[in-house]
Amino acid sequence: MNKKLSIISLMVILTLAISGCAVPAPTTQPTAQPTAIPTQGPLEFTDGLGRMVTLSETPQRIISLAPSATEILYAVGAGAQMVGRDSFSNYPEEAKTLADVGGSMGSYSYEVVTSLNPDLVVAAEINTPEQVKALEDLGLTVYYIANPASLEGLHAILQTIGQITGHAETAATLVNSLKTRVEVVAAKTATVTTTPLVFYELDGSEPSKPWTAGPGTFIDQLIAEAGGKNVGSVLSGSWAQISAEELLLQNPQIILLGDAAYGTTPEQVAARAGWNTIDAVVNGKVYAFNDDLVSRPGPRLVDALEELSRFLHPELYQ
Amino acid sequence: MKRAARPFPILAILLVLALVVSVMAGSVFISPSALWQVIAAKIGGVPAAIDPSGVIGTILFKLRLPRAILLLLVGAALSGSGAAYQGLFRNPLADPFLIGVSSGAGLGAVVAMTIHWPYTTMGLMAIPLAAFAGALIAVLVVTQLARVGNSVPTTNLILAGVAVSSFASAITSLIMINTTGELRRAMVWLLGGSALSGWSPVLGVLPYVLLGCALLLTLGHSLNVMQFGDEQAQQLGIPVRRVRWLAIITATIATAAAVAFVGVIGFVGLVVPHILRMLWGGDYRRLLPLSMLGGGVLLLLTDTAARTIIAPQEIPVGIITALLGAPFFLWVLRRSKSQNYW
Repeated sequence: MNKKLSIISLMVILTLAISGCAVPAPTTQPTAQPTAIPTQGPLEFTDGLGRMVTLSETPQRIISLAPSATEILYAVGAGAQMVGRDSFSNYPEEAKTLADVGGSMGSYSYEVVTSLNPDLVVAAEINTPEQVKALEDLGLTVYYIANPASLEGLHAILQTIGQITGHAETAATLVNSLKTRVEVVAAKTATVTTTPLVFYELDGSEPSKPWTAGPGTFIDQLIAEAGGKNVGSVLSGSWAQISAEELLLQNPQIILLGDAAYGTTPEQVAARAGWNTIDAVVNGKVYAFNDDLVSRPGPRLVDALEELSRFLHPELYQ
Repeated sequence: MKRAARPFPILAILLVLALVVSVMAGSVFISPSALWQVIAAKIGGVPAAIDPSGVIGTILFKLRLPRAILLLLVGAALSGSGAAYQGLFRNPLADPFLIGVSSGAGLGAVVAMTIHWPYTTMGLMAIPLAAFAGALIAVLVVTQLARVGNSVPTTNLILAGVAVSSFASAITSLIMINTTGELRRAMVWLLGGSALSGWSPVLGVLPYVLLGCALLLTLGHSLNVMQFGDEQAQQLGIPVRRVRWLAIITATIATAAAVAFVGVIGFVGLVVPHILRMLWGGDYRRLLPLSMLGGGVLLLLTDTAARTIIAPQEIPVGIITALLGAPFFLWVLRRSKSQNYW
């Protein structure tokens, strides 16, 4: 057994040495900025896994493996080039007509992917490196989008995807309009005098300890940008369960139901034991919220910001 | 018990049938004639209407065939180890994960998943390697804890296995709850959804499973004698202690390699030996190879179901083995004429 282990470790070291030689060192620049227009020669991009992705021509048969990637592709105007999408991609409406390549149980049907004969597969952080490798081994070109940490990071992703798909201009216009919309909200928010405490419920199927979003999540960031304070921002994990007792102590002024899509209603929340003392419940400030806007790092994050601004500071919109 | 049929030819035919069905069926159906043409074109260079390097060829040679062979190997490892453990521990509830392989592998895999590995060959191998190491460490801990002086009593081994497994599972759950984002990946792994595809996992598993199964096959006679009890077996000239260590080590290595690449697939190792025992008796010289064949057949068929039931979605195969395997097992159990087959 010891001999076996030493053989394994030898193999491991050898593989490491070989792969160390073969794999080009990732460039420090986050994105290669192509100066040429897409039809001129191959374009190279560094993706979210640090891989070099080379495209000899503008892709015409694109498959998306994540709802966020689908939304980004459509937003930059590449919708007409798409041939497939994962099972969760339900926005925009046209995306639903594309071939479904699976994904609801975490695994995709590589057979359907292969049979669609794509020239580009766009993956995101919901996908594992193993899945990227499997697609690579099938001879496919894969671009992996790492989750952005901020709205600015999203802009860079939109521009890169625009360049990859031959829609650099549409992407630039989109980014400008997103920036303008964020600035409008920021200007309004600068005038507010109150900072309401907001509880964002991800899953309240256990009312004694509902799941919420903590620091490092887009919802936490956007609540702050919309002029509010997220109850979950003091938690240690990004996604965590908070005890209902703590929630009653904190006494949020607004409750947003990210689980409204699963049937949770403000009436149900009011009926939960003890929750009827929370300010938000007393004042009827419990609202359904479309969690897709914030759980998918795509252009609809700005929609989320605008909607949050309306919920948190309705006085700005009278 | 009557021996109505010859078990080996039956299982061999089943194996070939399962193999053919599994490469034909899927979200894209490959007809028998297309299958024949592509294979003839690939191997014999016969010109065919279907390009073997086209879509059908890619699906066949890069997706379905490696997956089928991987599952055959994994099924053989799990069922063979299950049969050996049932004989070794003289316990009908023994399965290949009895002494901690699956929970150790699960812990290793989930720990590795919390780290952001670079996208290199080594980074991609990190999770299977960590799972393999976790499985070996767990079994090592179990055997050390169960040891009394120079011997490892069976009961101690089972109890230590249960305790270490629970402990490792608890840590796994704790890590899964506390990490962000990787939960889906861990869940899929723990339910036996194979993550890597292509030929590399096949090559990774092959040496361990072949070696493990070959060594297990030499233990048939000793396991037969050991059914009378360790002392009698010792008196009859069976080196009980050595047989036990050999069985544990080989079963551990084979199952650890299997779960490292495809995740934890339950039920196969428990049920296949029982079904075969009910049909063809408990002679381990025959039961061990039959279990290896049968495990492969069952996994191939359940995986075909997992790929086709709600295509293009794929259900983790571990769920299907239990969903289809349990009713089948109960059906055989009810039909079994002899109530005391064990």
